[in-house]
Amino acid sequence: MSEAGDKTAEGRPKRTRIELLVREADGDGFATQEISSAVAYLHSRPQRIPDADWEMARLPYARQGVVTYALKNRRTEQIIQITETEKFLWGQMDGRASLQEIATSYLLNYGSFDFEIIPTLIVKLLRADLLTMRPVSRLRAVLARNRRNPAARAMEGTLHALERLTVTSRRSHQFFERMYRYGGFLLFTPWAIAALVLMVALGILSGIKIWHNLSEVTRGLASHPIVAILLVKLVFWLTVINHQIIHALACIHYKRRVREFGFTILHGFIPTFYADVTDIFMASRRARIVNAMAGPLFHLFLGGFCFWIATQLQPGLMQGFIAASAILQIQSFFISLYPFCFLEMDGYHILVEMVGVPTLNHDSVRFVRESLWRRIRTATLLTRQETICFTYFMLSLVSIAGFVLLNVWLFSSAGKS
Amino acid sequence: MASLPEIGFLRRVLYFKDVEEPVLLALWPSFRERRLKKGDVLFRAGDPGEELFLIRDGSIVVSKPVTGRVEQVLSRLASGEVFGEMSVFGDERRRSATCQAEIDTMLYSLDRDSLNRFVTGSPLAAAKFFQQMAQVAFQRLRDSSDLVAEVTRWGLEATGLDIEHK
Repeated sequence: MSEAGDKTAEGRPKRTRIELLVREADGDGFATQEISSAVAYLHSRPQRIPDADWEMARLPYARQGVVTYALKNRRTEQIIQITETEKFLWGQMDGRASLQEIATSYLLNYGSFDFEIIPTLIVKLLRADLLTMRPVSRLRAVLARNRRNPAARAMEGTLHALERLTVTSRRSHQFFERMYRYGGFLLFTPWAIAALVLMVALGILSGIKIWHNLSEVTRGLASHPIVAILLVKLVFWLTVINHQIIHALACIHYKRRVREFGFTILHGFIPTFYADVTDIFMASRRARIVNAMAGPLFHLFLGGFCFWIATQLQPGLMQGFIAASAILQIQSFFISLYPFCFLEMDGYHILVEMVGVPTLNHDSVRFVRESLWRRIRTATLLTRQETICFTYFMLSLVSIAGFVLLNVWLFSSAGKS
Repeated sequence: MASLPEIGFLRRVLYFKDVEEPVLLALWPSFRERRLKKGDVLFRAGDPGEELFLIRDGSIVVSKPVTGRVEQVLSRLASGEVFGEMSVFGDERRRSATCQAEIDTMLYSLDRDSLNRFVTGSPLAAAKFFQQMAQVAFQRLRDSSDLVAEVTRWGLEATGLDIEHK
């Protein structure tokens, strides 16, 4: 290493250098070479995050003649705006081309070169975590570091295999368009709202009736507990598909594109269906809110419907199962609308629209981790956005603590009884 | 054993500069002469270490393996400098880095047993020896922390990572 702390004539710190020794392939012979950080930068091969983790859409609003794109990191929900030329550079960042080669291809493509464009874009991409500078997850990083350990190797292999279980269709848009045309559109008419109100009213009345005969209803479930639990779980899992379909139909309703529909193992252990309706971000605020609301309202409708059906049945396994499903649907309605849990579910997206902070989850964690203590020490007043972040963080923390405590209490109560 | 006593040279070596001449003369027979051709590896990181070395003439490059055949150069040592004492006096008896002759080099080595005899036989001289060794160790510690800072800066510049505004 040399030039530590040296300054150039202009007063800027000189680029640092490291000295490397490269041994010959056969024998102990070697050659040393100094490599400046500037040279390393030119030879670095920036790599964008995996294709499944980002998306790009041409922005509909732009100044006359200027084409811009929204580039979104699906994992962090961060969105940056890039120009046509930056889009070209982004396309080159496949981890194989060096910055020098990217600059050359830019020059050949556009006939001139702006020396600041690449560093500026890289900083922008790094801020949005769009370049792979660190492992995808800490668990995966730890496993990768301990590959000598057979247990770590086995776990890494298992996670890799689970990730490959993802089944996805990128041509689902046409399917949902057809579904919308042949009746799906009815969900976004006043008739659907009227049906929902009617079903909620029926559900409330039916729920009260079931509450009065609770012991009779639960007896049906208790007589076949394993079958009941499996049935309830299976039906609930199937309703998750419907929840996603409703989101997809809402996307079609607002003339946006359904990019993907499929099944995946979320975080390596949660099997779930998903619809990629992120194109809705390019639509109006109203469209985004309707899209977020549509899924949970489906659970509300189904909950009311199940309660009503349950009251029409004779006491037994079927009535108990339908009543339990109704409760699960109502629970899903509230959970998916509850925004304070660090999970970006439907309620979170509605909250984000209301407070106007698109990356609230990410920002709140970052604010508390990096800036809150400094603010407290210097007794500085929080800005509006900081107050929102702090409130979100604290409410989420309290909610999770409450949820954990509730479960502990439930388990201990169940143990005593 | 080294041939003629080179007291003048030992006086130039920081570790021995305050040690009295009779003690140096008594220690001199314990020094072993080693000659290395350019590129010869004296020891590698991880090898067991039983002796320290004084560079009489030449230059030694100290490096640490990084990846494959690539190593990072930590320092270059020249005539009058001592190295290898960490595995002689430290609790880890393995070499922490690789030392290799950058040009034809002549060294003197002193093994652990000889050093122990020197310490028990001349405690006052040994105290002066260890005092100098501590000074060198402090300087190397400062150099290491400077190196860490520089490598970090190099990494930031090489990747274009903008931490301040992240």
